[in-house]
Amino acid sequence: MRGIAKGLGTRWFRLAGVLLFAGCQGDTDERATLSVYAASSLTEAFGELEASFERARPEVDVTVTFAGSQVLRIQIEEGAPADVFASANPEHLEALVDAGRVREGHVFASNELVVIVPLDNPAGIESFADLVGARRLVLGTPDVPVGRYAREALARADSAVRAGFQAAVLANLVSEEPNVRLARAKVELGEADAAIVYLTDAAGSDRIRSIPIPDEVNVQAAYLIGAVERPGRSEHADAWIELVLSAEGRAALERHGFVTE
Amino acid sequence: MSPGTRGSGRGGSARAREAREAREARAGRAHGLLPLVATPILGLLVVPLLALALASSPADIAEAVRDPLFVPALLLSARTTLLSLTLVVITGTPLAWWLARTPGRRARLVEVLVDLPIVVPPAVVGIALLQTFGRRGLFGGWLEALGLQIPFTTTAVVMAQLVVSAPFYIQAAAAAFRRVEPDLLIVARTLGQSPAGAFFRVAVPLALPGLIVGAALSWARALGEFGATLLFAGNLSGETQTMPLAIYMALESDVRVAVALALVLAGVSLLLLLVLRAAPAMWARLDAAALAPTGAERAGTGPTGESR
Repeated sequence: MRGIAKGLGTRWFRLAGVLLFAGCQGDTDERATLSVYAASSLTEAFGELEASFERARPEVDVTVTFAGSQVLRIQIEEGAPADVFASANPEHLEALVDAGRVREGHVFASNELVVIVPLDNPAGIESFADLVGARRLVLGTPDVPVGRYAREALARADSAVRAGFQAAVLANLVSEEPNVRLARAKVELGEADAAIVYLTDAAGSDRIRSIPIPDEVNVQAAYLIGAVERPGRSEHADAWIELVLSAEGRAALERHGFVTE
Repeated sequence: MSPGTRGSGRGGSARAREAREAREARAGRAHGLLPLVATPILGLLVVPLLALALASSPADIAEAVRDPLFVPALLLSARTTLLSLTLVVITGTPLAWWLARTPGRRARLVEVLVDLPIVVPPAVVGIALLQTFGRRGLFGGWLEALGLQIPFTTTAVVMAQLVVSAPFYIQAAAAAFRRVEPDLLIVARTLGQSPAGAFFRVAVPLALPGLIVGAALSWARALGEFGATLLFAGNLSGETQTMPLAIYMALESDVRVAVALALVLAGVSLLLLLVLRAAPAMWARLDAAALAPTGAERAGTGPTGESR
């Protein structure tokens, strides 16, 4: 009984699939498609590259989907129709490479951390060492890349700045935000005295002031890009990756605060 | 099947009930397509939760329960939602009574205002709360002068829950109070009850099933509250991290833990909602037992007093 139901279900599913496919083919024009999944922090840079790519190859329709790297990874694992994946964290892309879902990863940019404070700077923070004076500090959760990198930086500060620095700073932690833009928003709204975010996020807001983190403490966050393996994938995936790695791609990324080699 | 032949010897209530059942049966037959239309939506409501249950093994759930975020989040959710529900009932009941008893445009306008938080996205509610009680908010200066900080505290969690959940209770309670016959209150007053006495001894007991359904809805909404809490209260385990926030954060580290936590929350909620749904019926049975001698008369007036 169960077997029959299952068989029937599969048959209906296939029929629906065939009809849907036929319908799609009839409707669309002849443009090829390319679907790029990218970390939210790449929104501005990849938006520019999308326009440039379509100008160079008018026959290709590019769609870029932006979300947290973790969410994109889950979607690709569940079979989302992505052709290219650009992750803000090596771990997510490497997990997909290990699972055979992504061909190989290329580092194409890196980001570093900065301290941000509201323009009126209520806690009077002028340097990284002043961070202990932030009565309300906001970080990413330890599970999102920005939160993990921030904790790494604070741990290094124990030897680079002074012993006990990390504990003194974390004592004033009032919230762990699930993504970097929410951490920035708390500072923009003036609710938090300080947050640690990516340089690119600080560059994208004029309602905050950024304070550099010393190199001996700072963390380089590597961004990786790779072509997704799936049946029916776009043949233009490699062309997109080449564009991102090209001089033009690097320039676009640098304009938005990324560091490229 | 004619009600006259069988029901004549058994008083009005049985006849009325049979007539109603017959009417309902006819109505059901008339809509043979009903299941065809209703099943998809029911499926959409239930199947995803079933899928959630199927995706988790008992081992996953055991692991989720051992997650360091779980116990503080569950306790915080229980503590804050109980507090917000209590406050909603205490402050919402008089407002609902006023809305139900007051004719005219002003009361209808207030009713629309009460509904507003249902329509506004919770994240926007969170920002609105920040702009009211935050450092740079409307009352920020005063609160700062008093040495009070609301954002990033458990108080903020409760306030966010209040705003998003109170409308559900107030609307349900107002609807329940509207079904209370004004004549009954007048009778109570002529029998010597004060206005408060008439309210508590006549209106509240009659409206109780509606009040309980409203409280259940409101509580469920508070328990699931996410967006306003994240923006207004932030997210810190033990302070402001409720179950929905813990589930979202677990999504970043381990999807299986997130799913299992969601299942635990769904299970606890289901249990409480079932209890709340069963409560009015149990209440009515207790009530009927206490008033056994007059039970027949009460049943006779049933159809008129029943929800429309």
